[in-house]
Amino acid sequence: MNKATIAALALAPFFLASCIRDEKENTECDIEAISLHLDKPSDFFFHDYDTLKQVPSDADEIVFLVKSYAEIHSIPTTLRVTEDASVYIVAEDDSKTPFLNGSAVDYSDERTLHFRVVAEDKVWSRDYNVSVKHKEASDGYLSCDFESYSLDASGKYYVWEAPSAFIDETGECTWKNGNPGFKISKSSAKPMEYPTTPVAGGGPDGSACVKLETCDTGPFGKMVNMRIASGSMFDGFFDVGNALTNALKATQLGLPFAHKPDQLRVWLRYERGSVFQDRNANPVNGVVDEPDSYVVFYRNEDANGNKVQLDGSDVLTNPHIVGLGRLPHHYNADGSDQLSADPIHGVTTEWKEFVIPVEYRTELDPDILESEGYSLIIGFASSWQGGYFQGAIGSKLFIDKLQLFCE
Amino acid sequence: MMKHTILAFLLLLAPCSFVLAKQKAPMNENRDAWEKWGPIKGLTSGGFIARLGYVIGGTTPLPLPAEIRKISTFSPEGGIGIGIDGYRMFSKRWGISLGAHFFWEGFHTRADVKNYYVWLEQEGEITKGYFTGTNVTSTDMWGVSIPLLATCRISPRWNLNFGPYMSFYFHQTFSGEVYDNDEGIGYLRENTPTGTKILMTRDNPTPYPNNFADNMIPFSAGIEVGFDWKALRHLNVFGLIDWGLTDIWDRKFEAISFRMYPIYGTIGLAYRY
Repeated sequence: MNKATIAALALAPFFLASCIRDEKENTECDIEAISLHLDKPSDFFFHDYDTLKQVPSDADEIVFLVKSYAEIHSIPTTLRVTEDASVYIVAEDDSKTPFLNGSAVDYSDERTLHFRVVAEDKVWSRDYNVSVKHKEASDGYLSCDFESYSLDASGKYYVWEAPSAFIDETGECTWKNGNPGFKISKSSAKPMEYPTTPVAGGGPDGSACVKLETCDTGPFGKMVNMRIASGSMFDGFFDVGNALTNALKATQLGLPFAHKPDQLRVWLRYERGSVFQDRNANPVNGVVDEPDSYVVFYRNEDANGNKVQLDGSDVLTNPHIVGLGRLPHHYNADGSDQLSADPIHGVTTEWKEFVIPVEYRTELDPDILESEGYSLIIGFASSWQGGYFQGAIGSKLFIDKLQLFCE
Repeated sequence: MMKHTILAFLLLLAPCSFVLAKQKAPMNENRDAWEKWGPIKGLTSGGFIARLGYVIGGTTPLPLPAEIRKISTFSPEGGIGIGIDGYRMFSKRWGISLGAHFFWEGFHTRADVKNYYVWLEQEGEITKGYFTGTNVTSTDMWGVSIPLLATCRISPRWNLNFGPYMSFYFHQTFSGEVYDNDEGIGYLRENTPTGTKILMTRDNPTPYPNNFADNMIPFSAGIEVGFDWKALRHLNVFGLIDWGLTDIWDRKFEAISFRMYPIYGTIGLAYRY
């Protein structure tokens, strides 16, 4: 070996090491979770778990809903943010003070606190509004005519105002559906091409109604083998982060409710899509698509005090369910859904009011009921097997004049 | 990817530098050796060299963008080069050569990326954003390179060649997909680094659009450097590297935020006449 060879070999590790460059400073700046520290959480919250909130990546409003008689004051607050991001409290005059985790924040008068999370790179930042608000006592009667709707912040799809009992963790009071997930899989769709859309003048009395339609999710949906999206409508929240990996988990159903539902009355109309297809888009002969509408009442805390939140995979089967009412369907002997050619749901192409009584499996505990220990789901789907990405493209369920009566 | 390119380059360099070092020794080769290993019809005549080689390398950004955190796998695709060069010596040491090298080259790589700008798009449906997780890329190209080289005979049995080349591609593919990395981290921030976080896993890998390659430029230009070692009277051992200096992507194409250059080396045997 001569000098040049030795030099070349000696330089080699230097070349190799220089390939991977130093990691860039992080650009992410999320509040991932937020918690309030209270000596006696039960003075404020119906559930101990309500003191900690996981914050979805697309949320920038965080609302803690507390008991109506709780006296809101300064509460030590801890944020979990993206690694190496820094947190500031931004005052009205836009001046910002660094926020130290665990320091007390004055939430009195239901004021909104502005937090700014600045990424490690100091370029990207996100602003969050955090507040603690009294939850208004809800009525034992809910109604909705679906007259109040508007485009979402991105202008891509419609959202509907829901009864005030359906206020969610971001302080919004809207019906949820799969539209945010559809936006990811078919970004070019116009607002009226989404699975859940309003129909002005389409209701039984000539006012607006809601249309749920089973849609093709396009090439992107095909890639992830979620070829259809059933139109849906429910109370809860939609976890858009999971929309592609686990669409069933993305659909988080149910919100706490302090009354015992007795029956759901709703006007329905159904236009069935012509070809029922399985998950791989193969037509299934001898099977027709069916709509679904249900009321589920479930215990929202397990024996260990953990939160129970139903999702698309167990909305009708979770053992925490105490009461259930649903449009009639055929079932197999083992209780599983039976696809058939002669459905018994009774929804036709003509408007008709349906009464769906809630049947209870166990006695409700009045104390638990009063302290919001049960959650209510009111759910609709244009394809009852949509959760398994089966159904007929073009199936349409029209909904209007919803009423929930409680005991 | 870079590692291997550089390794290949060093492999080429090592014998050359060995020879260069040798050259510093007092020159005592006699004219017989120059004639024995020289062009068949005399020191200032010409001839042909038919080459068959193994091609390895990558199409790579230079330097590697900081978004690439780790290269987990790299495997060549294709890897065949076949070509012919005609050469003419003007003096004992200097000449030129012109050739046509047909190649099939490419690679497959799997890398951990952080905050890496991607497009997931097909038939007009676009999802753009910043991805963190595992990014898999494959590319292969069929084509022909036309090198116009100066050739320097540094000793009776060693030639060094260098000069510009142009490559024309008959067929180009570029595909890829993203999913979670070994730590289970895989997500896209939609549109901006603070956008909605969309999880992506290996059960549901999300591919690049399948028309990406339409945005590749069907030619490139660069510098070729190589050596020939005359092992037998008609057989050369050769090595060369084609270092592309032009971006393979159409400048108007926004899905790849950096320029990428084809850098491929060939090692093989040649028949010399």
